[in-house]
Amino acid sequence: MGSLALLAVLGFTAFWLLSAPKPLPASAISAHSSNIANGEVLYTAGGCRNCHKPGAEQAGLDPNLPSGGFPLKTPIGILYPPNLTPDPQTGIGNWSDLDFVNAVQRGISKSGQHLIPAFPYTSYAAMPVGDVLDIKAYLMSLPPVASPRREADIPIAFLLRRGLGLWKFVGLDTTPWQPDAGQTPSWNRGSYLVNGPGHCGECHTPRNLIMASDNSRFLMGGAHPEGKGKVPSLHGLVETKRYKDQKDLVLAFQNGEVFGYENMSSGGMGQVQANMAKLPQADVEAIAEYLISLK
Amino acid sequence: MLSKNLCKSIAAGAIVLGLGFSLAYAAADDQIKARQAEMKANGKAIGALVAIMKGEAPYDAAVVKASLDAMAAGDAAAAEAHAWDASSMEGATIETWAKPEIWAEGSDIGAKYQAWVDARAALAATTDEASFKAAFPALGAACQSCHEKFRRPKG
Repeated sequence: MGSLALLAVLGFTAFWLLSAPKPLPASAISAHSSNIANGEVLYTAGGCRNCHKPGAEQAGLDPNLPSGGFPLKTPIGILYPPNLTPDPQTGIGNWSDLDFVNAVQRGISKSGQHLIPAFPYTSYAAMPVGDVLDIKAYLMSLPPVASPRREADIPIAFLLRRGLGLWKFVGLDTTPWQPDAGQTPSWNRGSYLVNGPGHCGECHTPRNLIMASDNSRFLMGGAHPEGKGKVPSLHGLVETKRYKDQKDLVLAFQNGEVFGYENMSSGGMGQVQANMAKLPQADVEAIAEYLISLK
Repeated sequence: MLSKNLCKSIAAGAIVLGLGFSLAYAAADDQIKARQAEMKANGKAIGALVAIMKGEAPYDAAVVKASLDAMAAGDAAAAEAHAWDASSMEGATIETWAKPEIWAEGSDIGAKYQAWVDARAALAATTDEASFKAAFPALGAACQSCHEKFRRPKG
């Protein structure tokens, strides 16, 4: 009996130590002069508002601001993404740069808990810190909205959150995105937007048994996060005759079904397309150039 | 021990019930097929309009009218086949990507259908390229708003 109890204590201690959040040190943040315009482009490419918008029942709140509360249904329960406006009490107004970067790139909350990876920090981890700070600068330029945080409806949330520390050993790759010197600058820009802020792989890359992205099959199509159906592969977009060429794909991103591209509007892609339509022309062309190069 | 007669009636009852179910499902298959045919015809008809929108083809009132007529005919055929009745929610042998939310209480499928009808009427009233290009996005948006909400991802 005694040895069993000892084993349990040891096991729990090991779990506790291994699963501890590993935030970035203060030295990860160097002097940075913010570029709000860049932050806005990345915020749009990331579709932050799609999840951080207010819920339908929060009447009176501007749906164009990321004040949080919209119910996000996931396989483990319902999450209510938090308020990203600069309200000091309920938003990010009191967050330091380090708090923000740890949340966005390491999935660690201001209070030091693991965040559920429905928040795609797994993709954002590849971004340069400067770009993440530009997003923060853009958010801080928005009007503050008071909208208190709503706790997630997740069974055994406490243990699950802590257990994410173990998952992160496999599920969170913190390697920064690297350009490919053999490609054009626009191809590299597209690769960056797709891999980092755009977090396309979160749905378009299949996941393995422990729900980590299987990057050996990057963008080769995955199970739909809502449970039914599949998210298509982004390889061979031209070869499989889904799009004629880069120009065709650009038109699809910018116009969606308004130009008859009907595949752009099921399974949540309609919201993504609406964001892409707001990106600068050169960025949409870059994304298309990169994607059609995936054979 | 059950009597022989009771066994017989239970068996007969089961057969009738089963037959009833399979008939209902076979009917649903036909309804789903009709719905998919309607969508396919709409897609084809819209293709000609998109070509004008993209500037790949010149504005041609006859092409616009033919496309809108094809959509109206598709609607009529679908109505005839009860393609949108709640009984078509699930097929026996063929898959549908229509979400059950279409038939849920409080569903705004009716309003969305009306937006599509209205957009077609607005397009029918266009007379040249400029008015066509101003009116067409509402048609695409009507398709999109329904697909976004009521069509689940394939596969």
